Amino acid sequence: MFRFERHLLTIIFASLFIFGCSDKDNNTESFKAAPYLIDIPFPFPTNLNIPSDNPMTVEGVNLGRFLFYDGRLSGRTHPDSLMSCGTCHIQSNNFEAGINHPLFQGGYVHGISGEKTTHVMLPLLNLVWNFSGYGWNGFLYADNPDPYFTSIEDFVRIAVTAENELMGDTIQVKNLFQHIDGYPVLFEKAFGSDIVTFDRIEKAIAQFVRSLISTNSRFDKYIRGELQLSQSELNGYVLFTTEEGADCFHCHGGSANPLFTTHLFYNNGKDTLFGDQSDRFSVTGVEIDRGKYKAPTLRNIAFSAPYMHDGRYKTLDEVIDFYSSGVQLSPYIDPLMHHAVRGGVHLTIQEKADLKSFILSLQDDNFLVNPEFSVPAKFPDDK
Amino acid sequence: MNAFKLLFIALFFLILTSCSKESDEKVDETGSIILKVVHTIDSQILKKDSLIYKNKAGNEYLISNIQWFISDIELVKPDGTTIKPTIDDGVFYVDTDLISTCSIQLPGLPSGEYIAFKFTFGLNELANTNYRFVNPPESFMFWPEYLGGGYHYMKLNGKWMNQDGQLAPFNFHLGIGQNYYEKSNGLTDYFDFGQSSSYTHCEGFNPPYSLPEVSSFVQNYFEVSQNIDFSVFQESDCIIKLEMQIEKWFDGEQSYNHNDWGGSIMQQQNAQEVARKNGLSVFHLSVDNF
Ligand code: HEC
Ligand code: HEC
Repeated sequence: MFRFERHLLTIIFASLFIFGCSDKDNNTESFKAAPYLIDIPFPFPTNLNIPSDNPMTVEGVNLGRFLFYDGRLSGRTHPDSLMSCGTCHIQSNNFEAGINHPLFQGGYVHGISGEKTTHVMLPLLNLVWNFSGYGWNGFLYADNPDPYFTSIEDFVRIAVTAENELMGDTIQVKNLFQHIDGYPVLFEKAFGSDIVTFDRIEKAIAQFVRSLISTNSRFDKYIRGELQLSQSELNGYVLFTTEEGADCFHCHGGSANPLFTTHLFYNNGKDTLFGDQSDRFSVTGVEIDRGKYKAPTLRNIAFSAPYMHDGRYKTLDEVIDFYSSGVQLSPYIDPLMHHAVRGGVHLTIQEKADLKSFILSLQDDNFLVNPEFSVPAKFPDDK
Repeated sequence: MNAFKLLFIALFFLILTSCSKESDEKVDETGSIILKVVHTIDSQILKKDSLIYKNKAGNEYLISNIQWFISDIELVKPDGTTIKPTIDDGVFYVDTDLISTCSIQLPGLPSGEYIAFKFTFGLNELANTNYRFVNPPESFMFWPEYLGGGYHYMKLNGKWMNQDGQLAPFNFHLGIGQNYYEKSNGLTDYFDFGQSSSYTHCEGFNPPYSLPEVSSFVQNYFEVSQNIDFSVFQESDCIIKLEMQIEKWFDGEQSYNHNDWGGSIMQQQNAQEVARKNGLSVFHLSVDNF
């Protein structure tokens, strides 16, 4: 595919540039990691958010996957104090904890310390296409004046050190991995040096997170002409994409925005008072941003319960009921929620069912079991 | 230092004057226009999210954000010939939330005098195809296939104080309109059944019982043309201000009352019609001299 090749070239160029320079830490002989190729099916965006100082490589993604799932990422080795990204971000649950999580009742996660996270989880998928900030309130964004709060790389550090997540110490973590058999050689392959630095840990995990791509739902296949959707799904699709229907597309996408999110921030009218100290307002300081959160992608949404930033809805049906008749008008509500004067879009029982079956057609079963994204069968020091 | 400068200036003049004859005949002399897009209400720069405006219909209103497309730019020379800037795909996205989109560079224009400026508001029928933009923010402008496909010409989002005293959201979204087959769904008065033609449904779609069936689509883009004298020079950019006078969408030829149309008009061709009429007087071009 033409677009894809152009992108490939960029990656190769970037890699050449980065790796062409000899490594300061260690060996001076030049090394080359294999560019990691992202397949971009039509009509997914061709612009990818890959920082120029962290091009994706096969070796980097591979190392990142080990680290993502290795409980020792908390910097500890005692079986009771292990925690990794994969403890909360579970593949079969769309990289969220899920309401069936053995550790986290109802899908409400907490860190090693037992302290709850500020919000419920966000899925990790298609983030390589997100240019407008990470987290429910977008507190990590590219042009943040604070250079330590800009990228997925920074999210790694934050997750590792946060009290309500891994509660680790970056120096302890890197020292630990330096001494685990099998890891230094993976760092060597990925970065041309077997010295483990936290910067490299961040980079490798971020590369893995960027590789988590979902483009093969039933709906994607329908758009590519590979299958026909059911009548109920098609009816739901029309509802989803019409203003006088369910009117979801302005914020959650459609065929020509297959991310099924704009990654932008809206107040979708759940409340009239906004007291959360971690909403969009807390990032921008702009008054009208109170009660705004990122519109999450609706891909694999069945597994993302509990729903909304505070997990107030347990099921998709509750969410649909909310949009149908629970919307509250306030001075802060986004203009795109124009049905708010009527309390919602008012769907019949049949329409709700159709809308739901369409939303479920955005489920990518392969993504949820793709072995490239799953817990490694063996860690580098496993015999 | 000063001597150097002088020398430079002298040299420059020499070149200019000595070659003036030649350069008259040269055809490859080009310059740039920078189109500065500004959004105003009642001649003042738009103040977002402020309930300080009132239209002729008496609606107090505010504007939160505007996204729109300008395309098919054409410059008219005194002899009547037209120049089309050849840059990218000739479709430009403007977004009040993205400052950089409000400055459009048009390079490679033959230098000389011009007497008029034309453009299409939105996208014309041939340009307005599904999936033409795969990347945001343009891709976020898509107009659903069921409603005609392609892209929104404009999303203008705001709120007005409605007849019930509520600050009600409105989406003044313009794009391809639809005519609907008559159905007993209680919404009939919203739809224009006047010019239903051939059945032009998207393949695979069977509209749900509660939604009216589309009988035909209507192209609602329009051309803006204004006589304006300006010159393009090789040395310096010509800055042209393109003003969207927002209030004129509502206060044009036909007064637009939000209480009549409600918050959403993508499926109300009659409202699109009013917008198209009023839109002809919305834009104003002027030369920025400095
Ligand atoms: C204790 C559970 C937990 C652990 C462990 C955890 N996360 Fe998360 N993650 C969350 C929660 C909760 C959110 C939503 C945070 C928010 O915005 O309030 C989140 C959000 C994210 C996001 C933002 C997604 C988006 O769409 O913006 C990224 C990226 C992420 N996590 C990566 C990681 C990585 C990498 C690790 C391992 C270093 C990790 N997380 C470990 C709970 C966890
Ligand atoms: C104005 C933009 C907007 C519109 C329109 C909109 N949403 Fe949302 N949606 C959001 C935002 C913002 C959130 C997250 C809000 C929060 O967390 O508090 C959200 C959350 C959701 C969630 C929960 C996601 C999760 O992971 O927790 C679902 C499901 C959802 N929306 C479905 C829909 C459906 C179905 C429609 C149409 C009936 C719709 N949305 C219309 C902005 C919108």
